[in-house]
Amino acid sequence: MPEAALHRVAVTGLGVTAPGVESANDLFTRLLAGESFIRLFRHPHAASPLEIPAVHCHDFDALAAVGRVQATTMDRFSHLGATAAYRAWADAGLNPDGMGGDERCGISWGTGVGGTMTFEQGYRDIMMTGRDRVPPLSVVLAMNNACASHVAIRLGLGSACTTYSVACASSAVAVGDAFTRIRSGQDKIVIAGGSEAPLSEAVIRAWDAMRVLAPGNEETAPMACRPFHARRQGLVLGEGGAALVLEEWGHAKARGARILAELVGYGSSCDNVHLVKPDAKGQVRAIRAALAQGGIALQDVGYVNAHGTATREGDPAEIAALREVFAAGAERLPVSATKSAHGHLLGATGAIEALIAVQSLVHKAIPHTQHLEAPSEDCLGVDHVLGSARQAPDLRVALSNSFAFGGSNAVLAFCAAD
Amino acid sequence: MDTLEQIREYIGKKVGTPAEQIVPEATLDAIGVDSLMLLDLMFDFEDMLKIKLPNDLPRPETVAELIAVFDQYNKPVQDA
Repeated sequence: MPEAALHRVAVTGLGVTAPGVESANDLFTRLLAGESFIRLFRHPHAASPLEIPAVHCHDFDALAAVGRVQATTMDRFSHLGATAAYRAWADAGLNPDGMGGDERCGISWGTGVGGTMTFEQGYRDIMMTGRDRVPPLSVVLAMNNACASHVAIRLGLGSACTTYSVACASSAVAVGDAFTRIRSGQDKIVIAGGSEAPLSEAVIRAWDAMRVLAPGNEETAPMACRPFHARRQGLVLGEGGAALVLEEWGHAKARGARILAELVGYGSSCDNVHLVKPDAKGQVRAIRAALAQGGIALQDVGYVNAHGTATREGDPAEIAALREVFAAGAERLPVSATKSAHGHLLGATGAIEALIAVQSLVHKAIPHTQHLEAPSEDCLGVDHVLGSARQAPDLRVALSNSFAFGGSNAVLAFCAAD
Repeated sequence: MDTLEQIREYIGKKVGTPAEQIVPEATLDAIGVDSLMLLDLMFDFEDMLKIKLPNDLPRPETVAELIAVFDQYNKPVQDA
């Protein structure tokens, strides 16, 4: 049989759950203004005092966001994720009553640690209060695919409902999978994104034990995450969710949808070298694969939203990969790491950064790497966007890099719709 | 508080169903209590009443059947 004709993939809706943020536009405006969402987080019931810089959705009201029935049957990672998905759906102007089980509409989600808050509550009940049982909804709250399934049920999405757990590349892979499904003709609409609620005591302490969490106090916490800085001290954990509505181009056009950008390429690879030490060669292959699939010339790339976690080893490896791919053009390649503002959302971070890449194309502006006066010697060689946001009237192509523990790499290439 | 009132309060809190709809002849489905919600409800009642419902209990379909279950087992677990 002949291969089905390939379909173009439009981004028609964006939704995000972040502290005090109402919409993707709201988030982007505040990033351009240089706002950091990182604060000192005091764990409410840690066994011993636990304070770290983190992004905590302190004002999030699950009941108001998803309704009483879903709120009581969801873990926090689903609260945050479903909220982002519903916001993206509304932003796309799609039927609020959903698709009635349409077999060509689906969801592709990502999460790293899933329902860790539910597990932690269970352990607390058993070990600290001496109970011999945990609530009967524990399984369905904690399972990693719960968020995607809740969204599929609410919106009547009858195509595949998948959840990827690929550490910090989870939701970039989810977006890539959604892209592939639409591109091949399998689906016409896929909600793609991810969510994470990692601020349980066990998860925070696990990351802390790896010595990769940036320290800070009440005053310094907002500036704790400093990608590419000589004195970078590590990543900042964040909770939240982000979603993109991906839609087959002709379908979006036919319903008169506003097209924000086109997703043109997805590249993935595995370093196959080390569990946590990133390898530029693997990253290079993922970046090149995304560019090749999108048919993108190197000089057309006007922005890279870097993975940029602010770890000692991660940042220089990524810059080395960009220098390898872009060669002499790397010096003129605008790069920023927005984790400096929104933190590291682990399994949701690929989605929020993809969303920011799309917004950069829509608004022709590039948010800067915050708290970076000058790049570290080992991160030189690209055009770091620092100091303040940059207007980019000619911006046509933006990349979003996601490079996970485990050596899994995922790169998304977006093209302006105008 | 009698059992019906307790059920009304619980379901009102969890699902938001108005108390006047929660009457003995109503089916659990009709008042928004699906199989998961029923599990949760039975768990909380076990906690509250300090009882243990058997696992092979026939699934109650109506509010009246639910009341009957709770009333039948509403006695404290005896220490050995």
